[in-house]
Amino acid sequence: MTINNDSEFKSALGNLPRAGQRQVAARFAENVLALSKDARVKNAIGTAKRTDITEDELTAAFASAKKASVDSFTQCGTECDWGSQAGHFVARAALACLQPVRPGDSPAWDAAMHARMARTCEGIASGRGTDNAEATVQYRILDKFLSGE
Amino acid sequence: MSASLSKGINAFKEVIDAPIASYFSSCVHCGLCADACLFYNETGEAKYTPIHKLEPLRRVWKQEYTLLGKLGKLLGLSKPVTDAELTEWEPLVYDSCTMCGRCSMVCPVGNDITYMIRKMREGMSASGHAPEDMIAATTRAVNIGSPMGVKWPAVLAQIKHVQAETGIEVPVEKAGADYLVLMSSMEIINFPEYLSALCRIFKQTGVSWTLAQDAFEATNSGIQIGASDLAREIVSRIVVAAERLKVKCVISPECGHAFTALRWEGPNLVGKPYSFDVKHILEVLDELHKAGKLKTKGKDSRPLTYHDPCQIARRGGVVEQPRRLLGEVAADFREMPDAGVMNWCCGGGGGVSANTRAEPLRLQAFKVKKRQLEATGANTLVTACANCRIVLEEGLEHYHMNIPVVGLTEIIAEHLVEGE
Repeated sequence: MTINNDSEFKSALGNLPRAGQRQVAARFAENVLALSKDARVKNAIGTAKRTDITEDELTAAFASAKKASVDSFTQCGTECDWGSQAGHFVARAALACLQPVRPGDSPAWDAAMHARMARTCEGIASGRGTDNAEATVQYRILDKFLSGE
Repeated sequence: MSASLSKGINAFKEVIDAPIASYFSSCVHCGLCADACLFYNETGEAKYTPIHKLEPLRRVWKQEYTLLGKLGKLLGLSKPVTDAELTEWEPLVYDSCTMCGRCSMVCPVGNDITYMIRKMREGMSASGHAPEDMIAATTRAVNIGSPMGVKWPAVLAQIKHVQAETGIEVPVEKAGADYLVLMSSMEIINFPEYLSALCRIFKQTGVSWTLAQDAFEATNSGIQIGASDLAREIVSRIVVAAERLKVKCVISPECGHAFTALRWEGPNLVGKPYSFDVKHILEVLDELHKAGKLKTKGKDSRPLTYHDPCQIARRGGVVEQPRRLLGEVAADFREMPDAGVMNWCCGGGGGVSANTRAEPLRLQAFKVKKRQLEATGANTLVTACANCRIVLEEGLEHYHMNIPVVGLTEIIAEHLVEGE
């Protein structure tokens, strides 16, 4: 199956089990990892990708990603640095990979949206504009994941 | 305009109106305002007593507008307010006051101490005694239109993102719409989920709404720093856009001071009544729910509690609406002690969160929120102010409390009956 739009993308993500959602979410986050300078985020994404992760490791990685996310919010009244804000959304993508899942949650979709926001922020920061191919890249990442690559 | 002591003293004289004169003359020095203050309560330091924070303004009032004060000044018995004193008072007026209004609620003679602090900030700002961070934010608000430097292309980027996510078109510059939606810079930068939630809610309820290219920003740092001319400029932009688009109502976003500035101070700032209503988003959602237009399904089973933003609940009167809305979507809603109009501030309002040097004191003051939360046993915290939200997140992280913070509009959107 080749995914071509968000409707198919969301549906395919929704059919994945929790572990599958976490692993593909980590791939979405990893694709924008270059926009973050935070080692905690890199470690969290690396942990989320693993297939042999324990609950304790998940909890620890979640706490670390949460701290990175809170530390990187743009404060009220502070001039926004869109490059740093891209890093914040990478941290939130990492957090989405690791957060405890409730019925109805879609962590992989959330991670994908945060990763797209990170790319959008990068576009604003660089002055290149906000058109980017992140959504299409994510479709291909999911295609590969579903085909077992 | 350059700042100086004489300009500051003149500003003090100008802001001493009939209410402030009567408040100073009727203060009975009981100290009840101290116990109501977040910063006094958590530090025990007498300098944080709210009425004490106004001492330079009180001296100017006494010296200029009372017989005994005038005599004292003439005879050299009463010393003039100095630059050094204003330097000493700057952290008291800006770092340790969120203008939360709790002190005003307990004053036995009805003094609105928050109003006095707001007016005192006018003189502090004019004398050059406002925090650098807040001056910079206000300058950006005037020059760019946003205290955080957000320009329309960034809003457009978020619109594009939200349209892709929701599949719903975001209306822009739609004349004749019922509602003009404002956002805070915080929502544009940090919380795209707010606009996403609005899109879904307004689609389900059939609401006619729009954004305006030249008036998307609701945050009013002129109110926070104490600069009425700047606050007026920021409100005026919204009034012009609302009148141009002929909307019936302007929706203030999940932002505390934006609501105070636009709803309560706005008409006085621009010197005329509005031709439209101003409502907080929670008021609008509650009305839509009451009218049977806003339909939700299912309930969140997590034990959750609600943090009342000061400017929305205590100063704004929006107390019952969030509880009715939460009643629709929360199976285990738990009230904090002192919830509602006497809720404790998050510690970051009134520009305090924008003031870097205030951070240690703000985190110390957060201990009261920690106790409130622990008393509920809730594991999810809902609020309706983007600034509160980040301040709460930081406080929770600082005290190692793993409690997610969620916007109320978003939690309503999560439970929408959609696709019917």
